Amino acid sequence: MARVWQLLLFVLIMAVLIGLPPLLGAGLQNAMTNMLIAALFAMAFNLLMGQGGMLSFGHAAFYGVGAFAVMHLMTAIDRGGLSFPTPLLPLAGAAAGLLVGLVTGWFATLRSGVYFALVTLALAEMLHSLAPHWEGLFGGEAGISSMRMPWGGFIFGQVIEIYYLTLIWVTLSIGLLYAYTRTPFGRLTLALRDNEERVRFMGYDAHATKMIVFAVSATFAGIAGGLLAVSNEQANYELFGTHVSAQVVLHTFVGGSTVFFGPAIGAAIFTLFAYLVSDVSRSWLLYQGVIFVLVMLYAPLGIGGVVMLHLRHWASIPWQRMVGPYAGATAATLLMAIGTVMVVEFLEALFSPHYVAQRRQAETSWPAFERFGASWEPFGILTWGPPLLLLIVGLLILLRLRHRIVALWDEVQETAETAARSGA
Amino acid sequence: MREDRVLDLRGIAKSFGSARILEGVELTVRRGERHAIIGPNGAGKSTLFNLISGQFSPTSGSILLNGREIAGRPPHQINRMGLSRSFQITNIYHRLSVFENLRLGVMARHGLRFSLFRRVAALRAVNEESEALLQRIRLEDRRDRPAGDLTYSEQRALEIGMTLATAPEVILLDEPTAGMSQEETHYVIELIREVTKGKTLLVVEHDMNVVFSLCDRISVLVYGELLATGTPEEIRANRAVQEAYLGEEVA
Ligand SMILES: Nc1ncnc2c1ncn2[C@@H]1O[C@H](COP(=O)(O)OP(=O)(O)O)[C@@H](O)[C@H]1O
Ligand SMILES: [Mg+2]
Repeated sequence: MARVWQLLLFVLIMAVLIGLPPLLGAGLQNAMTNMLIAALFAMAFNLLMGQGGMLSFGHAAFYGVGAFAVMHLMTAIDRGGLSFPTPLLPLAGAAAGLLVGLVTGWFATLRSGVYFALVTLALAEMLHSLAPHWEGLFGGEAGISSMRMPWGGFIFGQVIEIYYLTLIWVTLSIGLLYAYTRTPFGRLTLALRDNEERVRFMGYDAHATKMIVFAVSATFAGIAGGLLAVSNEQANYELFGTHVSAQVVLHTFVGGSTVFFGPAIGAAIFTLFAYLVSDVSRSWLLYQGVIFVLVMLYAPLGIGGVVMLHLRHWASIPWQRMVGPYAGATAATLLMAIGTVMVVEFLEALFSPHYVAQRRQAETSWPAFERFGASWEPFGILTWGPPLLLLIVGLLILLRLRHRIVALWDEVQETAETAARSGA
Repeated sequence: MREDRVLDLRGIAKSFGSARILEGVELTVRRGERHAIIGPNGAGKSTLFNLISGQFSPTSGSILLNGREIAGRPPHQINRMGLSRSFQITNIYHRLSVFENLRLGVMARHGLRFSLFRRVAALRAVNEESEALLQRIRLEDRRDRPAGDLTYSEQRALEIGMTLATAPEVILLDEPTAGMSQEETHYVIELIREVTKGKTLLVVEHDMNVVFSLCDRISVLVYGELLATGTPEEIRANRAVQEAYLGEEVA
């Protein structure tokens, strides 16, 4: 039964990914390309983090290296007349990721935990500070740009062509990452996460094993970076930036590191969010941060984990009693979200240089400001009253419903445990 | 008579900082024997196992496994040379299924250490061996549960199963029956007796009935020094042992 659902869901998602983009404008097509790339990057990252138990804070290193490798290959084709099929450009990213992953992985995996994380952070930071000064390899501060060449009847001049190329690569890569989990080495990777010591006493070389896991993860991160280069036709040192490494951690945790597809979900949602919101609000990074903190506090399993929890206990969830609280909680969350957005946007408006200039010119010391197509008094009750009311009402509802939801879930958990004990 | 000696410890000493835990330990384990190490808590029995299995290097002395020096080698190499150990404090893969815990050991024995291009479900021999092992430790009905969900004694059984999974020639078991009920102890001892046929066993065990009935020879470790080694009868009759350790119980 679960199998059928999974298959159905897979077909549905693939149908959307294949069928939807031609109906969209170039902007959204490009956003979807970026969603796919971010999804692959997060999946690659989670092979190391979720499956191997190694939290890397420097995965931008392999993402960037993959992008630069593809740019060099693209340049060689464009200027040097090398003949190489354009659709296979990301292979350069894979090769670079693998190579750099093997070398740096050897060092990084000598340590575990915090020290491992710090070594990876330092690696990416090293590249980040080195790249702007290295003309030949990284194109200095400006980076490298080039052109995709037509190949095999495809021009690769349209966003939609790049989208489908990316879709093929990402589907294939995620398919391989899935297959990885079914190999003996994939099982060993999980064992490593659970208990590295015992792995040693079973005859496995833990360091070599970790190094390979690291390199495989870096390879797929390199493909993701390579796809970005193919899409943008340029790469610069900012790809090595801390924010790139941080984003992938964020995507993975929000999506859920314990579920195979979780990171892809988180990456897709956040990338879409960034595309949609960054145009309308300057505070989109703040919103993203708030969402991350809330997910970590109240749903540490992430979106994927929460979905899996519901699927696993589907039959034993008392839906009739659950629907009410869930609907209420959703509505309350919406109220709080509106309240938060209003407060943040008002504050942003009040602190903007635009408003500061306005204040200097105006006669009154605090002139009204514009937001959401209306004008608001900086100290007006009608300005701050509604959002605060929304926040308070939403919070009160949530606090009440939380107990009911938790109690209902305790019931579900209990049924599951009884079933496990008697059914085993 | 070298062929006769599977494990040969010579002048083993181990200190942690200024604390001397083991001192001048000379121990020979013969091929095919079941050899017990007994001694009070804190005597250094587990530390001795840690040295033999590669967890730590001895401060001085040499350890020969089939005539080859293994002191200071990493654990995975020693395991591949045919020596496998269990842990006094259960050391399993908590989030993996019971079956997976065992299969990982079986895979290692089949040399599938960097196997990235095969499907684990298609490894017939590995899977069959793992199933057989699962039955042997009587955990069939726990097959797909996370190992962390098992009861204490079930985990102890799994611990032994994992040690056997790499099909070692020399087996080191550190207090395999600690915390088990009488019935469980009885079963585990029979299991150990059965699976160690034709192999060499070194076991730390507190239950004297078990030790005397299971083992061919016994070594007594007290305060980091080996007091005596001999057959159960010899040990029973040994004055020093009686005074230091066995006391009234066996006298
Ligand atoms: N890693 C270690 N570091 C410091 N002291 C240790 C370590 N391992 C064991 N010891 C000490 O060595 C002594 C012997 O311990 P152990 O070998 O576990 O005894 P046994 O197994 O005979 O009960 C104990 O005093 C213990 O505190
Ligand atoms: Mg001990």
